[in-house]
Amino acid sequence: MKLKTTETNGIYLVEMSGKIMGGPESAQFHDAMKHAVANNLKKVVIDLGGVEWMNSSGIGLLVSAYTTLKNAGSEMKLARTTDKIQSLLVITKLNSVFDSHDSVENAAKSFN
Amino acid sequence: MVEPVVPDQLLPGKKDAGLEASRSLAALEELERKVQEFLRDDKSAKLDTKRLASLKSLLELVGSAEQNFKLKAEFERERQENAILQEVSRRLSSAAEIRDVLRAILESLRQVVEFDAAGIFVFNKEMQQIEVDMLAGYGGAQRRRVYTKFQEGVKHGEGIVATVVFSGKPLYVPDVKSDLRYVEVRPTTRSELAVPIFVRDELIGAFNLESDKVDAFSERDLRTLMTFASHAGVALERARADRERQHTQRIAEELALARRIHTSFLPKVMPQFAPYDLGGMNFPSSEVGGDYYDFVRITDDDLGIIMSDVAGHGVAAALLMANFRACIRIESRAHYAIKTILERVNEFLVETNPPDSFVTGFYGVLNRKFNVLTYANAGHNPPVVLRKGEVPHLLEVGGPILGVLPDAKYEEAQIELMPNDIFLLYTDGVTEARDEHDQEFGLDRLIELAERHRNLSANELARRISHEVQSFNAPDSTMDDLTLSVVKYDATDPH
Repeated sequence: MKLKTTETNGIYLVEMSGKIMGGPESAQFHDAMKHAVANNLKKVVIDLGGVEWMNSSGIGLLVSAYTTLKNAGSEMKLARTTDKIQSLLVITKLNSVFDSHDSVENAAKSFN
Repeated sequence: MVEPVVPDQLLPGKKDAGLEASRSLAALEELERKVQEFLRDDKSAKLDTKRLASLKSLLELVGSAEQNFKLKAEFERERQENAILQEVSRRLSSAAEIRDVLRAILESLRQVVEFDAAGIFVFNKEMQQIEVDMLAGYGGAQRRRVYTKFQEGVKHGEGIVATVVFSGKPLYVPDVKSDLRYVEVRPTTRSELAVPIFVRDELIGAFNLESDKVDAFSERDLRTLMTFASHAGVALERARADRERQHTQRIAEELALARRIHTSFLPKVMPQFAPYDLGGMNFPSSEVGGDYYDFVRITDDDLGIIMSDVAGHGVAAALLMANFRACIRIESRAHYAIKTILERVNEFLVETNPPDSFVTGFYGVLNRKFNVLTYANAGHNPPVVLRKGEVPHLLEVGGPILGVLPDAKYEEAQIELMPNDIFLLYTDGVTEARDEHDQEFGLDRLIELAERHRNLSANELARRISHEVQSFNAPDSTMDDLTLSVVKYDATDPH
């Protein structure tokens, strides 16, 4: 799993890539979320375009990010969910909970 | 005048026993030279040459006696040091507590080197902090100061100990007041000697000595300190290996316990529920997973069917699974609507769960009088009903995963079962098994396999599928828990 974060025009963009399978690597992702909360970043976009594979632990990461951000009054949007992630979101029925967009731009535009 | 021996850059002003001896010898030679000069220049010397010769031999005697004395002292010190090091080695081999060993090293060192304060520091490079330390000669407030100063020093590269940790080289400061690197901890300290501690080739910390006297340490002290530092290194390495072994052992014990808990929760014998034939199979991964399936008899004609997967592995997953199991087993007997049961289970898990773990679960109640299955699927891989001549029925109706969304709502649905129907429930360990080309086993393959072997009994079918999935899985890939259960409507059953 690789992670890159950038802040532009009030959008906190978290780009994830590689295989997302939880484990010790998750700490980096949790840190990014903590950063968003600590710095009062209200609009968070998780770009999943570069994710090769994700299992249920990866879903766990997204869920915990969603909860953390929601509790802090921030909003999380997903961008470029791959087919594999989309099918996981359908199975877990989180597709009705997470707001997914086909591009980072559209995800960024979708914030109120 | 006698030329002083050029001081070692590291150790200006040595007061070594050897140096003292060579000084006295040089002084003796100087004296002899002066006497000879005197004899040569002053022909009218009244001195009795005989007396002078005897004086000279006397002086030589004194010199060699002095030298012997010094050598003896040195020998004695070496002997004592060896005895102490042997004692330290003995303690090292007796698997003692690391702090006891370090304390013993400090106490032993005190017998051969004079110092007013000493410290053994272990530096954790990743954490940028002191891991283990042993101090002597620092007062209470000073102890805290040692910690903070060392921490700061490590950050900013200040202080004698930090300098040694960074350079990996011994450092002697004969006068701390004239060395800019020195950071005061003890106000009375005047000189400081610090050496690195290595474990194999890795620098792990430093051993330092402080004295209230200026230029208190000799080259000999440096060598002694380095020997003791290498022993401290051995002790620390052993302690680290011990810690790792204990840690591994503890994890193994925890896993074994979690595995026992996990296994004890799975059905041991399948309930009799004719005309339905029930079967199930669980292969936990090498780590303990959180798959759980069950058949719960609710009434004579109603059978609760559970299939679930806790995200994550290990003890935490096993505990969450235990929670889920207790909760759903209680709720399932309470005769609520199925969607309500899932809402209540979800509520309970939201309250007790850490935020990044969750449960995907399927819960259905099969009534054998009407052959109807009422179910709700909480984010679980959809179970399938396989009926001859029809496309597989995926049981997807329900709601999101359990344990994360406080106000999650669930829907329920019904499906009527027909004779010879195969109802197949599984976890993602089945469909997400991957071969060497990174291809997933997938739902289609699972359905095809079940259709092909539909004549097998429920238990045999479950075993057959598990076997196929295991051989499909690439040998080097990590295997998730593999769980499936089968409910067959046995048309031949006379019930």
